[in-house]
Amino acid sequence: MFDASGATRAHYAPLHARIEALGPEALADRQRTLERSFLLQGITFTVYGAETSTERIIPTDLFPRIIPATEWARVEAGLTQRLLALNLFLADIYGPQKILGDKIIPRDLVLGAPSYRREMQHLLVPHGAYANVCGSDLIRHPSGEFVVLEDNLRVPSGVSYMLANREASRRTFPEVFREARVRPVERYPDLLLATLKSMAGDWRPNPQVVVLTPGVYNSAYYEHAYLARLMGVPLVEGRDLAVHDDLVYMRTTSGLRRVDVIYRRVDDDFIDPLTFRRDSSLGVAGLFNAYRSGNVVICNAPGTGVADDKAVYAYVPAIIRYYLGEDAILNNVETYLCRAPAQLDHVLAHLDTLVVKAVGASGGYGMLVGPHASAVERERFAAALKADPENYIAQPTIQLSTAPCLVEGRMEPRHVDLRPFILSAEKVVVTPGALTRVALKRGSLVVNSSQGGGSKDTWVQAEDGSAAP
Amino acid sequence: MMLARVADSLYWAGRYVERAEHVSRLAQVMLNATLDPSEAAGQVLALTRAALGAPPGVQEPLELARALSLDRDNPGSVVMSLARARENARQVRDQITTESWERLNMLYLRAVGARAGASFNADPLGFLGEIVSDLHLFKGAADSTMSHGEGWRFMVTGVFLERAQLIGRLLKAAFTPIAVASEEPLALVTVLRMACALEPYLRTYTADLNPRFILEFLMFDEDFPRSIRHATDQIERHLSHLARGRELGRQDPQRLAGRLNARLAFADIGEVEGPGAGELLAAVEAETTAIHEAMYETFVAYPLELRLPAA
Repeated sequence: MFDASGATRAHYAPLHARIEALGPEALADRQRTLERSFLLQGITFTVYGAETSTERIIPTDLFPRIIPATEWARVEAGLTQRLLALNLFLADIYGPQKILGDKIIPRDLVLGAPSYRREMQHLLVPHGAYANVCGSDLIRHPSGEFVVLEDNLRVPSGVSYMLANREASRRTFPEVFREARVRPVERYPDLLLATLKSMAGDWRPNPQVVVLTPGVYNSAYYEHAYLARLMGVPLVEGRDLAVHDDLVYMRTTSGLRRVDVIYRRVDDDFIDPLTFRRDSSLGVAGLFNAYRSGNVVICNAPGTGVADDKAVYAYVPAIIRYYLGEDAILNNVETYLCRAPAQLDHVLAHLDTLVVKAVGASGGYGMLVGPHASAVERERFAAALKADPENYIAQPTIQLSTAPCLVEGRMEPRHVDLRPFILSAEKVVVTPGALTRVALKRGSLVVNSSQGGGSKDTWVQAEDGSAAP
Repeated sequence: MMLARVADSLYWAGRYVERAEHVSRLAQVMLNATLDPSEAAGQVLALTRAALGAPPGVQEPLELARALSLDRDNPGSVVMSLARARENARQVRDQITTESWERLNMLYLRAVGARAGASFNADPLGFLGEIVSDLHLFKGAADSTMSHGEGWRFMVTGVFLERAQLIGRLLKAAFTPIAVASEEPLALVTVLRMACALEPYLRTYTADLNPRFILEFLMFDEDFPRSIRHATDQIERHLSHLARGRELGRQDPQRLAGRLNARLAFADIGEVEGPGAGELLAAVEAETTAIHEAMYETFVAYPLELRLPAA
């Protein structure tokens, strides 16, 4: 919001003026109204305790983040390019494996990744679109440049918060919203439906789409129900589906009914106990065989996770160059692969400044944050690195950019990242908006909702410059 | 077309909403009727306990009201019914309009909230009365914003099936064996209040309070929405819509509902004299249970191989 000298950046000027005019009391009041409306709507996630579970709203910050059109154009072009390349990569490694033959990326790194699914080998995916829904995490460098921190190609969530935040910010700052010429995100549900329908075979004239949820106890259940409602399709659980003769049916009150496309919000491991994890009760026995027979489409395709593996991530610029013959428009965060001896030496020498991550793990497990770790912890990690270097990558400790947030009635800077949502089928569409995740504790870099993170709306402007306040 | 699980959840949401309303009303009326010490007070307490199967041990009216409203260990308490209604609604959140959902969710959040106990203590009658009127708002919102299609019919069938059973139990507790409530006018007024029936009854029968007329009104009146007859009428109506274009298999809920409704429609008033009322009420309980089971088997838990789509 402010530039290096402390002056308001031009595209924030009208918002800043409005905030000043409202004053802290009115702002706090609007914040309370907003929180109450989220609670009423049931926009909550569940926190489990020993005896009782409580529902909490994800804290939402009133102030929208504004991204000027030119900055966004680069993000949009970069993500489109990235998704095109990643889908080509997935079609290749689950097909002829040319990129491995050409030694652009080590064979064992891909085929040995825990998220690689050999069951997907030689299976035809419509339009070669494996990752139909993607939510990449971007961060803004001090230079102002957006870089990609992580690609989420499995079951990314958060899009319902993007939509709910938008509704809230329109209500809170209607005048500024109009003047800022914000691009709409409200079409996301119908674009998603169109994407899903286009994945069905042409011979099924009116394909039946369903959203598959793990159930009401999943932390993202609200989002599953929300998307199903806005798309007007059934929200099903594993127990609602049945497979018979390799066809998938849902149990309706008037008998069984064929299902053509499943937008699944259940992880690969759990979708079919016959093919993947046997102890899963969330999935449908026989679903993968039906998929293999081409009688149903699963979105995202099983096995897409290999393309957001932390080690494969380091190769994404090379992947883009290999398939598209272009340089990556959005850069990666610098990443050291410990499997390469020279890079391992560098990592070992700089453990106090780097973040080390286990390749297969997620959610902060198996991670060393160098600057915050004790000497003992660093030594333990050094030993682990030497013992099993292939299992680790390292990145510089990242400084997230900050955005002003309303904290106890005052404006204070908090760290943020950016999660835009990208749909891929016949073509790639980047939604002109995003979820901005906020680390609500002062100085904290953790934006996860389970650990004190919140979110705020993100306004992508249709054209640069600001209207006069 | 509707998912079987969704239909089941909507049906149960309807049942729990009705149960929460009934228990709230009984607790409220009971509290009110026991305010002044009269002979009827003891009867009212006994009646409430018998009609609800209240937890043993609690004797004092205010304690009983609190147990019926807020006790989380009592599966029949208002707060537990609200939690279950809301849980069922949340599982099918995509099927319920935002207007109706928000009503129910708000009510639930207030009833389970940290301040619920304190506001009950401050004004128990007000607390219970507010729950009843909020449930009316929920039903009104559902009625006027939800499409009156399959899902809505399942929910409404749940409401009326639950109502037929609850009113049946209330009448059984009050009048069998013949008139626990005797001829004591205060107790009779209480029975009518518990069925939310005092004003409509007075308009039909004037202030002539008589167990026979009360039974007649609450069992056979076609128009009063809390009579058993009205409930079975509604159940039959909605089930016949739900049955359209379906093969119903050997257990046909619509047929069962029609039979029960006809029995009430053509019952002789003499049937409720003497032990007859008890028999008829027992039949209502048994038949509604049979309808419930037939619905489950027909719409929800049918065997797969029988219901594959043609071709």
